[in-house]
Parts: sequence; C-alpha cells; structure tokens
Amino acid sequence: MIRIAAVGDLHFGPDLRGAFRPHLASLAEVADVLLLAGDLTRVGDPDEAVVLAEELRDPPVPIVAVLGNHDYHSDREDEVGKVLEESGVRVLEGEGVVLDVGGARLGVAGSKGFGGGFAGACGSDFGEPEMKAFVGHTRDVAAGLERALRALDTDVRIALMHYAPIDQTLQGERAEIFPFLGSYLLGEAVDRAGATLALHGHAHRGIEKGVTPGGVPVRNVAQPVIRRPFNVYCLEDGRAIG
Amino acid sequence: MTEPSAQPDHYLVQHVREALAQDPRVGELHVEVTVTADRVFLTGSVPTEERRDVIADVVRELLPRHQVSNHVTVESITGTPDVERLG
Repeated sequence: MIRIAAVGDLHFGPDLRGAFRPHLASLAEVADVLLLAGDLTRVGDPDEAVVLAEELRDPPVPIVAVLGNHDYHSDREDEVGKVLEESGVRVLEGEGVVLDVGGARLGVAGSKGFGGGFAGACGSDFGEPEMKAFVGHTRDVAAGLERALRALDTDVRIALMHYAPIDQTLQGERAEIFPFLGSYLLGEAVDRAGATLALHGHAHRGIEKGVTPGGVPVRNVAQPVIRRPFNVYCLEDGRAIG
Repeated sequence: MTEPSAQPDHYLVQHVREALAQDPRVGELHVEVTVTADRVFLTGSVPTEERRDVIADVVRELLPRHQVSNHVTVESITGTPDVERLG
C-alpha cells in the first residue's frame, strides 16, 4: 500500500513562518510522500517561496509539487520553482517523477492546469486570438499532463494539478466562475492516459471528493476545503484505472 | 476623474475585490465584499491576523469615505489528517 499525503493552497508568506513545519514531524508515520497541489505562495514572490522552503527543509518523505495561479502572479514563477527545487521539492510542469516507495513504484505526473470550463459550458478555440490563446494554453498543459502520465510505467500513477479536472469538486463555488476554476480537458487527459488518483486544489469553496467520467477518483485538497494540514490517501499497488 | 465613492455600488464591489487580489500586500481572492452607501462589509477567513488587518487597510485606502466592517476571521489549520483508503 502506498500512502499519499496531499494538500494545496498553502498560500505561504512570511506571516506563516513556522506554521507548517510542526506537521512535517509526524509525516513519515502516516505517509510515504507529500504532494502539494499549487498556490504554494500568496502572490508568487520568491521570498515567500524561501519561507516555505525553510518549512519543508530535510523532509522525512519526498515532496512533489505543482505551482498554481498565485505562484505566477508576480511573473517570477521560474524563481519560485527554483527556490523550492533547491530545497529538495520536485516541482512538475508537464512532466513526471518516479519514486520508490517501500518497494513499490509510485509515479506522479504534474501540471498547473488551467481554466476553460466543463463540457457543455466552456470556452472554445474560436474567435479572437486572446480567446484562442486562453483555450490553447489549457490544451497545451492538458496535453503535457497526458504525456507525462503515459510515460509513467509504475504501479501507481497520480495526476497532480492545481486547477480542477472535473466540476463535481467545485460544488459550493458559484457556477459562473467554474470556467476559471478548471477544465474538462484536464479530466479528459487523465481518463485517456489512466491514473490511480487525481489531485487538485484552487477551489476553496468546493468539496473534497469526486470522480472523472472515466472512473478515476478525484480529490480537491485545497486546504480551506480539507481544513487539515494535509489529508492522506491510501492506495493499493497496481490499482491503476484505464 | 470621478471619486470612487461616487460610483454606483455595483462597480465598487468589484473594484474592492480587484484591489484585494492585486495589491501585493494581500493577493486575496476569497474575501466576500458587500458595499452599501457608507459601509463596506468584509467576510471570509484568512490564516493570520496580519492578513486580516491588511485587507481592511487596503479597502480603507480605496474607499476612505466608507466605514469598513471587517468580519474576516482568522483560522489557523491544525488537527490530524483524515485518512482515506481507496480501492
């Protein structure tokens, strides 16, 4: 069995210094890996990432992350990612990582993802170049996620995103903003490639549990949703769907 | 240029929300904002007192003629994780 600890939307800044560190102490007792589902910082300032990196130093288990929209806000997302990578956090965008967890092989494919909406109520690749660019970005990151998932020849495959791949886990958010919270293209990528579990954040007023049309469990681990330092998902080896 | 407080409330709500999102001291997208003729009500939760206080500061700077009722709560995350077995 592989135990996945996951949380998103930590929104770290200097005022949260010391807030997450105590939770790392017991992490190895309950989990084999910690996954961070984006929005690691408040406004994407690399100094905020430094504070989080200090919290996560010398972790008892591997830590894998994707960035979120807040981490892009200052146009310094590369620096934010570099700070975290230098502290030992693996930051994924359209790529995967394979970890040896107690003799089993765990694969994590990650992408920030993006918005656009869900089947029947979504933006289309049509009209002005700005609209095409919006939808095109979602198509690009969804394709990157699918490629990364397909490349994982592992017992367990996790799809890690910031934006939501389904609308079920957005229930509680205003329906008008669903297109800014996720995209069906992400869910379609997960279903096409197959995964054991899909994780996302971003939707603070959503709910934790959902499932893709193809049957992959989805968990919204935004911290305001789970209201815990992190939650833990236990997966049987080799239970990949798809 | 028109004073912000002279604009219809309909637009003021969104101007406040944009200020809370874009001000580098805040970067907050999840505070609920209600504007009346002379008052701004703020609700939601943030993880620190510092964040709660600076949210009100930003709104006072934008709408100095309004009274700010800051009902944003401070909620620190504690507790043990929920453990779910899948499959």
